[in-house]
Amino acid sequence: MSGNVIQDKADQRAREESMKAIREIFLKLVEQIKNKEEPSLVIKKRTLSNTIYDPKRKLLLLGNQKLVRKLFDESEARTFMQTVLMARIIYEALKNNEYPTIRDLFYRGKHTLPYTSPRDRFKNTWEEQKESDAVLRDVEVLTNKLREEMLILSKEKGKVVGDMRLRSGNDIIDLSKMGHGAYAIESTPDLIEFVDYSADYVLVVEKDAVFQQLHRYGYWRKNKVILVTSAGQPDRATRRFVRRLNEELKLPVYILADSDPYGFYIYSVFKIGSITLSYESERLATPKARFLGVTMSDVFGDDVPLNEIYITPEESRIGNPEKLRREKKERFLKALKDLGYKGKLSKEPFMTSEERKNFIIRAKEQDLERAVELVGDKVYKAFAGEQLKTTRSGKKSVKKSPGYQWFQEPKWIKEIGIFFLTHSKLEIEAMASKGLKFLAEEYLPKKIETKDYLD
Amino acid sequence: MAETTNESFRQMSPAEFFYRNKEIAGFTSASRAMYQAVREFFENSLDATEVHGILPRVTVQISREDPNNPDFFTITVEDNGIGIPSTVIPDAFGRVLFSSKYKLRQTRGMYGLGAKMAILYGQQNTGKPFEIFSSTPSSKKVYYYKLMIRMDKNEPLVLEEGEWPKSSGWHGTIVKLTLEGEWSKRTKDYISVYLKRTAIIAPYADIIFISPSIEGEGKEPEITLYRRVTTKLPAPPKETKPHPIGVDLEMLKMMIAERPSANMKDFLMRSFQRVGEKKAEEILEKAKIDPRRRASTLTEKELESLYKAIKDTKFIAPSSESLSPIGEDLIKIGLKEVLQAEFVDAVTRKPKSYGGHPFIVEAGIAYGGKLLENLDEIAKDSLKGQQGPYVALLRYANKIPLLFDEKADVIWSIANSEEFSWKTTYKLEQTDVVAVLVHVASTKVPYKGVGKESIAPVEELRKEIEAAVQEVARRLRVYLTKKRKKQEAQEKLRLFMKYIPEIAQNLAYFVTDGKELREASKSLERELLEMAKRKVRAQLEQPEELTHIVPVALPVAEQEGSIEDPSTSEEEEE
Repeated sequence: MSGNVIQDKADQRAREESMKAIREIFLKLVEQIKNKEEPSLVIKKRTLSNTIYDPKRKLLLLGNQKLVRKLFDESEARTFMQTVLMARIIYEALKNNEYPTIRDLFYRGKHTLPYTSPRDRFKNTWEEQKESDAVLRDVEVLTNKLREEMLILSKEKGKVVGDMRLRSGNDIIDLSKMGHGAYAIESTPDLIEFVDYSADYVLVVEKDAVFQQLHRYGYWRKNKVILVTSAGQPDRATRRFVRRLNEELKLPVYILADSDPYGFYIYSVFKIGSITLSYESERLATPKARFLGVTMSDVFGDDVPLNEIYITPEESRIGNPEKLRREKKERFLKALKDLGYKGKLSKEPFMTSEERKNFIIRAKEQDLERAVELVGDKVYKAFAGEQLKTTRSGKKSVKKSPGYQWFQEPKWIKEIGIFFLTHSKLEIEAMASKGLKFLAEEYLPKKIETKDYLD
Repeated sequence: MAETTNESFRQMSPAEFFYRNKEIAGFTSASRAMYQAVREFFENSLDATEVHGILPRVTVQISREDPNNPDFFTITVEDNGIGIPSTVIPDAFGRVLFSSKYKLRQTRGMYGLGAKMAILYGQQNTGKPFEIFSSTPSSKKVYYYKLMIRMDKNEPLVLEEGEWPKSSGWHGTIVKLTLEGEWSKRTKDYISVYLKRTAIIAPYADIIFISPSIEGEGKEPEITLYRRVTTKLPAPPKETKPHPIGVDLEMLKMMIAERPSANMKDFLMRSFQRVGEKKAEEILEKAKIDPRRRASTLTEKELESLYKAIKDTKFIAPSSESLSPIGEDLIKIGLKEVLQAEFVDAVTRKPKSYGGHPFIVEAGIAYGGKLLENLDEIAKDSLKGQQGPYVALLRYANKIPLLFDEKADVIWSIANSEEFSWKTTYKLEQTDVVAVLVHVASTKVPYKGVGKESIAPVEELRKEIEAAVQEVARRLRVYLTKKRKKQEAQEKLRLFMKYIPEIAQNLAYFVTDGKELREASKSLERELLEMAKRKVRAQLEQPEELTHIVPVALPVAEQEGSIEDPSTSEEEEE
């Protein structure tokens, strides 16, 4: 970075506010020490038990459980030291107009400590980035400032194109003039200023390759779309950017992800937030985001053909496969009814049986586990029945999981039920393989037109 | 023993009787005979000194004097005791007597009997006479005798005698005995262990032991020295009359023989402790014997009913004046000095009695420091057979170390680590070694066998021993808890000290906004260090009880990160 960079105002303001927040918290510690009180920090717990789903706002939020981190407690002295160290490094970087990455923070803080106790096995302030990342999160919770606001950078991952102009730093960027490339969503999306745009909705594509295809196909221009990709798991910047598009510009947001439990989960992260980062859900999550596809019913339709119902090799050896498949289908229908699904089961698939044969991938054990994690073991049992208590390997029994509340709505239960029934998944690329034209001209517009999405 | 077998003495020379029963006195093998002989003379020496208020200095020397007989060993024991009047020397050593007085007090041995046994044993195999030099404090001369015992006649045979005027104030006794023995590691261990254990309970004594090298001829003799480390002597025991409950029929007869002309009431009152006028009358009424009857006129039947009447009467517990405990201070001094332990403590229990015999139990404990390397060979052997925590038992009866038959002893049955909760209740580690000293002082120690090497499990005694060991073990626990707490506190302080400078430096940055860090940092560091020390100190001052209920495992702080969602970890990889 050259020396005479003109700091834009947004940047400067963020710096000052973050510095103030950090200074306030840590000067309190100094105050405690001066008053001969043992220094302690009160931090909201970032644990599963303290992660709460707010069904009204449809957000994963941090609860009110707090932990008191004390210096004079053997088991916490080290983390206490790390928290203070991290705060100082961030503060110093802010003060010096720097933009450290989380890796930088790790290296800046890592140094050897004096050897005083044979019982303490640690030599350095921190040994791994995992440790510094953890206290960084604590500093975020403590100061109520996100790392983006503290101008900490991470690798840019998300990309965006569309008929839109925005201001980043001192430049105006035209997102419609990116050529074959795209604008990389910066680590500090809050410093972006939306200048003007012309769009009807936002389409977030999980897969970068599909994003590129749609971009080159001119999808966004034709359909007045702001096209975003998270290139896999969405990073914080992409989530924040999408949230701002939805919140500030009132643009509907559609998510396009793989038709499998991982794809569903990515949607969930955009929409609700993740457990690790539940403290930032309020700023990062987009509760109104919709799951456009690819749904299981897009692939199989509501009426899964009997011969595509999955049976394990063991099952086919034991009983009559036809009979078994019929039983499974019946159980599927009964479970749907029992679990509160009241809609019709009349949806037609976007793929023929023949196409499915080519594009479908068999689900793996971990896909199954993740699906159970999403809907909970009770729903799983309702679909799978008693004889499927164990997974296909016959070894591990399904882990107990309460499931996520927002996946236990009938529409989602149907989708995941079809997954349990067919043990199949489909990547978006497969839709594109059927023909990019099909994806861009048929599948996407039709889905949006007919409001064929989940939310 | 002497009391109950006097009938036999009349048919056989007592000397002969004893010699035929030498095994009873411990002369079972060449090795044991040497050990036993040293013991008899050494104990006589202690009885001639400490009981009379003299700080003992005893030298024991074993040497080969006869080049033609390498198996002949001369044992010389010299003390600075009260000496023996010249006129009684030949009889004291040359005649096996039975005691005529039935006064009781706790002494190490039955005076003289064992020594005469040793003399008989020595002369029988070597044909060598016994030599003695002695002088009493008031005597102006030193007397010398060379004598043998005529076994058939139970008489001393004086071979030589002499006397010298004393040029110094020396008093004491030097005895020289030659016997056929064996100088092996075993013999050496017996005698060394015996002297070492005696040194532990007699830190007021100078004990010098000069012995041949085990390696063989021509080597320099080895000298072991236990230096006097205190001038405090234990209070000597007082002679007391027997307690009625402890008396048997035979003894009763002999006591009557001593006061034949007394009337029965007087006899009872004067011969026994705890018997006053009322008690005497009560007994005689029960026995239907006229109080005015002369003691010697009682018939066998009347004696039996008298004996029964005594047993049926309740008395105050026997007096413990006749007992001479070692005392807590001396045990502590001795353990500390001889074992060089890090922690020692001792307890002397209150006197108790069983069957009319008073007794006192004392216990000592030693832990840590150079304990292990200073333990004697017999204790080390015992440790080898244990599983840990290891207990080195130092047993004493009337101040005599008991070296053999450890596992048969009631003390072992109480203190061994399978029985005693050294680990669970008393917080010792599996690998810890602890020395436990137990002393039973009594006018009659209930030995288990004729060897007098182990104590029988008499309930009253067992209870006392257990209580004594528990008491010292508890004190050790208090010490260990304190010590561990201190270590933990230090450990904690060091841990805080590791992080404090770092914390101070970083916090100082907020105070000064990055300028002039040093000053602010140092001041914060000082404050924090003070706080850490206060914190640790406060923890040290918690009473012991509190630390016991603290769970062993520290509560583990909720592990952050462990619940982190694996699918979101990508976000953090930069």
